Amino acid sequence: MTPETSNPLLELKNVIKYYNRTTPALADISFSIMDGQFISIIGPSGSGKSTLLRCINRMIEVSSGEVCFDGVITSQLKKRDLRKLRTKIGMIFQHYNLVDRLTVIENVLHGRLGYKSTMAGVLGRYSQEEKMQAHRIINILGLHDQVYQRCDQLSGGQKQRVGIARALVQNPRMILCDEPISSLDPNSSKIIMDLLRSISREMGITFIVNLHQVNVALKYSDRIIGVNKGKLVLDGSPDQLTTERISDIYGSTAKDLMTDSEERYAAG
Amino acid sequence: METEETINNWGQLCSDEMISPDIFGSGRPLNRESFTIRIFLMTLSLLTLYALFTMDYQGVDIAKATMDTLHNFKIIFMEPSTQRLGLWDAFYEVLITLGLAFLTTLFGGVIALFLGLLSAQNLAPRRITCCIKSFVAFIRAIPTILWVLIFAVAAGLGSAAAVIGMTFHSISYLTKAYSESFEELDRNVIEALSASGANWWQIVFQAVIPSSAAYLLSWTFMRFEINFANAIAMGAAAGAAGIGFDLFMAGGYYFDLKEVGLITYIVLAFAIVLEMIATHMKSNIHQKA
Ligand SMILES: Nc1ncnc2c1ncn2[C@@H]1O[C@H](COP(=O)(O)OP(=O)(O)OP(=O)(O)O)[C@@H](O)[C@H]1O
Ligand SMILES: [Mg+2]
Repeated sequence: MTPETSNPLLELKNVIKYYNRTTPALADISFSIMDGQFISIIGPSGSGKSTLLRCINRMIEVSSGEVCFDGVITSQLKKRDLRKLRTKIGMIFQHYNLVDRLTVIENVLHGRLGYKSTMAGVLGRYSQEEKMQAHRIINILGLHDQVYQRCDQLSGGQKQRVGIARALVQNPRMILCDEPISSLDPNSSKIIMDLLRSISREMGITFIVNLHQVNVALKYSDRIIGVNKGKLVLDGSPDQLTTERISDIYGSTAKDLMTDSEERYAAG
Repeated sequence: METEETINNWGQLCSDEMISPDIFGSGRPLNRESFTIRIFLMTLSLLTLYALFTMDYQGVDIAKATMDTLHNFKIIFMEPSTQRLGLWDAFYEVLITLGLAFLTTLFGGVIALFLGLLSAQNLAPRRITCCIKSFVAFIRAIPTILWVLIFAVAAGLGSAAAVIGMTFHSISYLTKAYSESFEELDRNVIEALSASGANWWQIVFQAVIPSSAAYLLSWTFMRFEINFANAIAMGAAAGAAGIGFDLFMAGGYYFDLKEVGLITYIVLAFAIVLEMIATHMKSNIHQKA
């Protein structure tokens, strides 16, 4: 997409995050990501996956280190430029985080707020183009029958697709997903993962996906990053990921976790 | 010394009785809570008996007084009529009272909207929310009429003091109600929107207010009802105009019980209409929610 493919889209240098003084939630994390990659982050609960994701779009401030997105060092951005940066990075959540009482189209249009002046956003003035784009994305995601339905009437899988639509309407370079399928049944999980993968391929959007299911990560990603206790313990392609490496990441619980997720996925 | 001893003895006796299960029969375990409740009720009944026997009636004949009161009630409720106050005048006065209620609810609502946003835990830093919430709780603890009287010191007894005082209390009531409605919206939803680049004002107006609009409306209307009742009382007590003032004049000045009756009926009619609208709105909200 961009002419200079040699420059990474995202680069983390020695990122450290302390919530309290004693133990770091992230300890010296460094990696860089090329445009268009589909990357999974795996690791046990509490290892710092969500923290890592939120440090990228500065929903959480890092304690030290540098996050560099598209050539810009994010920690130096002022308020307005930070908003501009965030419009370029979509985000998808485990619990969808939609405004339940609003309709699908209203929720999707929320993705455009970052581009607007405060006043236009407050008044909800969306241009004809923006509305058309929102409808187009909704159609692509197969939600055309639910456009004017309230979001609390949708199924989990549908809600997650609204979440994806809200991220896509931002025209993002990159989408961060925090356990996008953890609240879904195996069937909808597969649909959502397929969708994310094809969006990545067709639109050239970079994905960073936090996952609890190792085999899902193995199946879909170009590259897998493993974290444990805030440290980066693995960074490589799926075929480099052996059972031993997995038990390195997850410790003693690895076996349970593998079988658990295999069962989960076999059903789907 | 003697009295102290007797009291001590009595206390022992009492506690002995309390512990013995025969007296309470049922065999329910006597925990601290029910023990306290029993002591409390016993003290209350003793006090009541004491008061009844030692009250100074000042020659009031209870039977006659009751009969007279009932007679007055009969006049008020069975024979409402008016000599001085035309029906249209009365209607106009009610409109003034409604206006007072509307104005104070409007002022209170607008100010409470902003205070409510600042005291919602998902929208403002903890220190600010705590400050506003405790400040507002303090205002709410003091009754409306007291606020009106306090402001009457500066503004003089009349409609100005009534408007300020009632607005003051409405602000505190609505701030609490609004902020709780705002807090219904999950913190994570707000996180999601700000992660997409939306700023605070956009989030407030595009997500927070739309999703709590139904609650806001019903709370505001509830407060309007309360303010209507307050406005009547203020008309009487603080000399703010309106039907309350007429009620005060008819009852306390002209002793015209028939007119008191008429005014009561008019107020009742309006109150019922308001109540009906409120119920209707609430059922709408429940359907939506
Ligand atoms: N807001 C916070 N304040 C203090 N500590 C936090 C906060 N958020 C996370 N932590 C701590 O940071 C560590 C990493 O948490 P994080 O949520 O990033 O883990 P995670 O890998 O996403 O876990 P999970 O898989 O359960 O979602 C945990 O020990 C957690 O207790
Ligand atoms: Mg997490």
